[in-house]
Amino acid sequence: MFEENAANPAEGETGGEPRTDQPAESAAKVDAGVFGSELSEADAAAAEHNRGEAPSAARAVAVALAGWLLPGLGHALLKMWGRALAIFLTVGFLVYLGAGMRGNVFEPGGEDAFARLGYIADAGTGSFYFVARALEVAGSDVSHADGDYGTRFLATAGVLNLLAALHAYEAARGRKA
Amino acid sequence: MVPLHFSHFQSLLLFALIISLAFGTLGRRKPIERVKYAAWSLAMFVLVGIALGWLMYPFSR
Repeated sequence: MFEENAANPAEGETGGEPRTDQPAESAAKVDAGVFGSELSEADAAAAEHNRGEAPSAARAVAVALAGWLLPGLGHALLKMWGRALAIFLTVGFLVYLGAGMRGNVFEPGGEDAFARLGYIADAGTGSFYFVARALEVAGSDVSHADGDYGTRFLATAGVLNLLAALHAYEAARGRKA
Repeated sequence: MVPLHFSHFQSLLLFALIISLAFGTLGRRKPIERVKYAAWSLAMFVLVGIALGWLMYPFSR
């Protein structure tokens, strides 16, 4: 689904030749032409931010971790403000709805595979996992359809956030993500 | 917090709407492309959800 990448690499790493002989401005024009679409203001800022420094694996991992811990933070660090806000609001809203519908917030050390997988999915929301637990003061209630749907909402929030963190990692590496 | 109650269809619509907006924002760059992709995704979520619901209906009782 993630077809375009704002943080085009300045050099190497993604199969392209290093562009050390090109000034930053002309490199930006080349990038815009290659991807065949206009860079939005935020994306252009991200591209400019990353240009001139080699994509670092450690930095990309840090960006991904930040994005996992606080949904949207990874993209915010890359100055992709629109996407950062979208991720924050989407994950936050899903967690709010999931907890409000009294979905099951799985705890670590589940007895079966479903509980363990459920915990992995819920933990994907990062710090929002604790928000969900704090919101759900009455505990979960999956005896009704609402609670069952809430469980899915919470799991979806986590998986979506993990996907966004992976996207931020790819963008930070300068790959077409 | 106040418990939230939705019908099956309301839950489907809510889920589809939120995820479609996220997909559109994350997956496309131009605003018009985002709107188109979000609308397409929303339609597919809802239509496939309803279709699967009817497919499972004979086994529900």
